[in-house]
Order: sequence, then C-alpha cells, then structure tokens
Amino acid sequence: MMEILEYIGYAFVLIGGIFLFLGSLGIYRMPDVYNRLQAGTKASTMGAMSTIMGVGLIQPEWFFKTLIIVIFIAIANPLSSHALGRGAYRASLTPFMKKKMDAYDKEFHQNKED
Amino acid sequence: MRKLLVLFLLAVIAFSLYKPLSTIEFGADRMGSIENPTTVGAYYLSKTPSELSVANVITAIVVNYRGFDTLGEVSVLFLAATGLGSILYRRRKEGEHSISISKPSSQLLQAGSKLIYPAILVLGAYVFIHGHLTPGGGFQGGAIIATGILLMMMSYKDFHLNHTVLTWIESLAGITFATIGIAGLIVGKTFLENFMPIGTLNDLFSGGIIPIIYIAVGFKVAAELAGVLDTLLSIKEK
Repeated sequence: MMEILEYIGYAFVLIGGIFLFLGSLGIYRMPDVYNRLQAGTKASTMGAMSTIMGVGLIQPEWFFKTLIIVIFIAIANPLSSHALGRGAYRASLTPFMKKKMDAYDKEFHQNKED
Repeated sequence: MRKLLVLFLLAVIAFSLYKPLSTIEFGADRMGSIENPTTVGAYYLSKTPSELSVANVITAIVVNYRGFDTLGEVSVLFLAATGLGSILYRRRKEGEHSISISKPSSQLLQAGSKLIYPAILVLGAYVFIHGHLTPGGGFQGGAIIATGILLMMMSYKDFHLNHTVLTWIESLAGITFATIGIAGLIVGKTFLENFMPIGTLNDLFSGGIIPIIYIAVGFKVAAELAGVLDTLLSIKEK
C-alpha cells in the first residue's frame, strides 16, 4: 500500500516537473508580458501544486501540510498574476499584436490567378 | 602607469589572501568535534542544547549569547522608521485627504486578499513564536506580518493603520525587551542572561527568555515595518 502511494507520488512530482519546464519554456518564448504571464502562471500553478502533492504522497505524515500549501498556491498564484497583468495594462504596456497571419493567403491567391 | 598600479594592488591582494590561506590544509576541518570544540562555532553547537535547550542554534546566538547586539539592531530599526517618518512628514492642509492609491484595485484582488490576509498573519505569528524551534524568528515573522499589511493596503484604498496603536505596540515591545534584560541584572546575573527555567528540548515552552524576547521583537518589527509602509503609501498626490 505504502509503495503504491510512493509511486503515485513520484508520478505527481514528474508531472509537476514537466509542467514547470513547459512554463519556463513559455516565459522564454512568448512575445509580451501578458502571454508570458499566462504561460508562467498556469504552468507554475499546476507544476508547483503537483510537485508538492507528490511530496505529500511520498511522505504521508506531511500530507496535510502539503494540502494547505496547495490550497494557498491555488488562491495566491492566479491572484498575483491577475494583479500583475492589471498593473501592466494600467502602466499602458501594449499587448503584442501580430500582423494578420494567413498562411493560406498566398496559395489561394495563386490558385485564383491560375 | 595606472594599469601598473592596478596590477600591483591586485598582486598585493592576491598575496595577502594566499599567505594566510596557504597554512590551512585543503578540506581541513577547523571546527573541531562537538565533544572537543576548538572554535566558537563548535562551542555554540555543542553547548546550546544542554545550556539553553534551544533547537535553533542561530536563535540562541542572536537572542541569548549576543542579545545585547540584537537590542542594538532593534533600536537601529526603530531609528530608521522614525527618521523616515520625520522626513516624509507633511502637515495636512484643510480638506486634503491622503490619497494613497489613485484607483481602486480590482474586485478579485480585494476578495482574494481578504482570504489570504489572516493566513499571512497566522504564518507570521507562527514563525516568531516558534523562533527557537524552527528556522525563522522575530525579524522574519515581523516582516511576514508587514507583507500581509502591505497586501491589504494595496488592495483596499481606505485601509489605514492607527499610528497611535502602532506606536504603543512598538514601545511596549521595546520596553519588554529591555525589562527582561534588566530583570536578569536584578536576579543577579548579567544583562539579558537567561534566568527562567529552560524546560526540555523541542518543547514550545522552553528556552527560558528566548521565546518572550522573540515575540516582543516580532511585534516590534511588524509594527515598525507597517508604520514605514503606511508612511510611504500615504504620500499625497498633488
């Protein structure tokens, strides 16, 4: 029984690690503050929650402590990113607007000409 | 010429670093063992559990062995807060309200900070009450409480602290610290020396005067930092 819990815990930690990695990749690749915020927040909320839950499953006597931490992260993390995004908008940072993206445009125009 | 001087100075620094360090064998343990301490650090490590029954050795050093130094640090904080207050003080004109934040924060932040605020206060209190058992202590706990107050200040426009109450808390905490020190003198020991029963290791009520002093320091730091934040936020906009 305990071993099964431990393996589930390791799986949680692994999933959390993957999410944290993807989040950091998003922060590196995204073009502006708002995109980076959403990448960072969503991925790091999920990643941190999953990692901490995993630790709680590996060490069952810590489970309730980790549960409290997870609840705190679930409240605080989206809230802080909301405040940051709102602050960025109020400081009039313009969102990234890419030029009209239309991959089929050329192809269909060429077809018309044909 | 200047480059030569720089090179010369670098050579002097390198030599003076190399000379004393060359006498120490690489990786040598200079602390000595716990049973036979050769340095001050090893002495503290070996004596703290038996002399004071405090699990957190750093707390024991900061509050007990070097308590006088901590009293000085606390008064430095007090002086900094007072100085900031006197620099930023401006008499309020008639009909002028203190505008701390120009626009109200979002409803989401207001509701969320209402949820988190008590948790932050509890965490801060936990950190300074358990200062002699777990990492942390009065300064850290006070700073955590001040961050909670800052959160409320940012999310609520009309959240203001009563400066009279803050001053009272601050003064009472400072007086407690000094009184405990003087009580040590009255009992017949030195200033800030432990005179209360030390209890058993890893108990909440143990460590003699250390928890009392750290609780006082926690209140003092929290009140001072909160006062500083309030002074900084309530600068009027023209």
